[in-house]
Amino acid sequence: MSDKFALRRVIVVGILFAGLSWLAPAAESLSAQKILTSSEAIRIPARSFSATLTLTEFRDGKQVDANTLTSYAMAQTDGRFSSLVRFVQPARDAGKLILKNGNDMWFYDPASKASVRLSPQQRLMGQASNGDVATVNLSKDYRASLAGEEEVVDGERRKRRAYKLSLEAAVADVTYPRIDMWVDADTSQPLKARFYAESARLLKTAYYRRFQPQLGANRPTETVIIDGLYPQSVTLMRFSDYVARDIPPSWMQRDFLPRFQPD
Amino acid sequence: MNTLLFCRVMGCLTLSMLAALTVYADELDALDLQSAAPAEAPPGAGKLYLEAALGQASPSGQTGTRQVGRLSLDYAITTSLNNGLRATFSNRLDYFDPEPSGTDTIVNSLRELYLSWQNPAATRVLEAGRINLRYGPAYGYNPTDFFRDGSVRALTTFDPLALRENRLGTFMLRGQTLWDGGSLSLALAPKLADQSSNSGWSVDAGATNNRHRALAVLGTQWSPSVNSQTLLYWQDGNSTALGVNVTALVSDATTAHLEITHSSEPTLLTRTQGATTPTVARNRLAGGLTYTTARKLSLTAEYHYNGFAPDSAEWTALNLTDRGNFLVGRLPLQELASRQAYMLYLSQKDLLRQPLELTAMLRLNAQDHSRMSWLELRYRGSRFDLAAQLLHYSGDSGSEYGLVPDSRVVQILGHWFY
Repeated sequence: MSDKFALRRVIVVGILFAGLSWLAPAAESLSAQKILTSSEAIRIPARSFSATLTLTEFRDGKQVDANTLTSYAMAQTDGRFSSLVRFVQPARDAGKLILKNGNDMWFYDPASKASVRLSPQQRLMGQASNGDVATVNLSKDYRASLAGEEEVVDGERRKRRAYKLSLEAAVADVTYPRIDMWVDADTSQPLKARFYAESARLLKTAYYRRFQPQLGANRPTETVIIDGLYPQSVTLMRFSDYVARDIPPSWMQRDFLPRFQPD
Repeated sequence: MNTLLFCRVMGCLTLSMLAALTVYADELDALDLQSAAPAEAPPGAGKLYLEAALGQASPSGQTGTRQVGRLSLDYAITTSLNNGLRATFSNRLDYFDPEPSGTDTIVNSLRELYLSWQNPAATRVLEAGRINLRYGPAYGYNPTDFFRDGSVRALTTFDPLALRENRLGTFMLRGQTLWDGGSLSLALAPKLADQSSNSGWSVDAGATNNRHRALAVLGTQWSPSVNSQTLLYWQDGNSTALGVNVTALVSDATTAHLEITHSSEPTLLTRTQGATTPTVARNRLAGGLTYTTARKLSLTAEYHYNGFAPDSAEWTALNLTDRGNFLVGRLPLQELASRQAYMLYLSQKDLLRQPLELTAMLRLNAQDHSRMSWLELRYRGSRFDLAAQLLHYSGDSGSEYGLVPDSRVVQILGHWFY
């Protein structure tokens, strides 16, 4: 073999390796995104639905507050959701509404007839953000990368083998710039997530548990939300009464809020 | 030296690990907690609450105090009839002790009574009756809230957000159509009486329907971060007024809002004197920012401008009696008394990690620098609220807030929900 051929082979092999090394992270990222997509398909139904949402707030192990809400989630063609959340109890808050279309968030109080624009950081109840009580498909707003494979304790205190995904915001002004998420390596069930601020400070930890068959899949029906700075502050977010239903698009408009009435 | 440094580093690492372990131990403790059972509201139930207030008012420039008290019963209900038809009733009864000047001891406010119809797709709405139609995203002054004047029968709070809870709707026929990204509505409010009634039990159609009025509103969603409403308002005797309000998401913690109107009408001074001419063409504006921290502290700063209010020269030219009459006259109009003003509004939820809410407000007259300060600490129980409020006016004796009869009011409020 002449030196010329040898040199050519070295160049071809070099290009192949360079190409592979460039493609490898992309493939891994694609795979991590697929894991996240599968996990989100379990966490939330793929179609429009309504559900009852119970938020129970604890401080130092004692219950300090409880809210019952009705959530109306409308699936959009791109897989994202628009959500309208109505307060049912306590009596003081009955009839108040939260509307969320991505970053377009509104709070409506039927007493004052005021529609107030909310920022993603604004929270109205316990440790649950407005993004938490609304239906948010994380696979649409975050880019996932695989950060490892670990054994974690899940929300039922069982040890599970899980993929650790690192989620970076792919769109502007999301509630959390970075999220670490643990997904069961065998079933793709979401197990746990840590939510971080821009400053890398831990804002809260969430455990997904009480998996039950709801709207065609075994879904988590309760999320334990633990404050990052003050772990004794805990909010349990429980979903029940899932109903698949068509939701009029006009319900998801700010100008319709004063006219909304539950059926 | 190196050993000392090593020991310090190891000490810090050990402490960090211990802290992390404590956090994770607490995390696992949280997994033992159980959710409350979902609470169901009785079908068709309305919202009923009783409010009691007791306090002391300190008259300006005098020693001593006088007691002030109030008892209020508030009820609102919406009932589904059939074929997309609904009926809404909302009423409030206030008992004042002592009797406020200009009104009865008992004041009933029939806030809303109307029928509403929607098609199944919720893209068409028709309504008829007394409707509380409110526009404008600003907190302290709403130029685009065209149906605001005459709507407050009984002043029971100084919190601008709560003030709107106790106002009369306007008798009107209203239609609305919605499409993807927008809506258009038209409200027609006829004249039903010549003037407002002082009788406590009056429906008081004259307060809200003392002239023919019409309002068309175009709502537009420009992007997920920007939304606007464009308003055309007409009332008998005046030219058409144009208004625009815009809200925007500035960052993940900040929102912005702006309201502007342009109209041709009598100045505020002319209106409070009962005259309708001459008219002038001027603007009104309210704009502000709201910043919210991750710890539930919200701060709103607003600038207010009313081109129809007296400027410094016009204010200075008024004697004290005229100023007093002007300030009393502009109250039911819910108008800004000065050409320019500022407002700060602060709200801290879950204060000290307790069900406590602290609300504070500062209004500043930019012309005479008089101030209104308001502070409320509220405990939120599951079925009752308990609140302590402090209201304080300060300024020169001839200034907007210096002329208020009571310079300070302290009161305790109880709020029971049924």
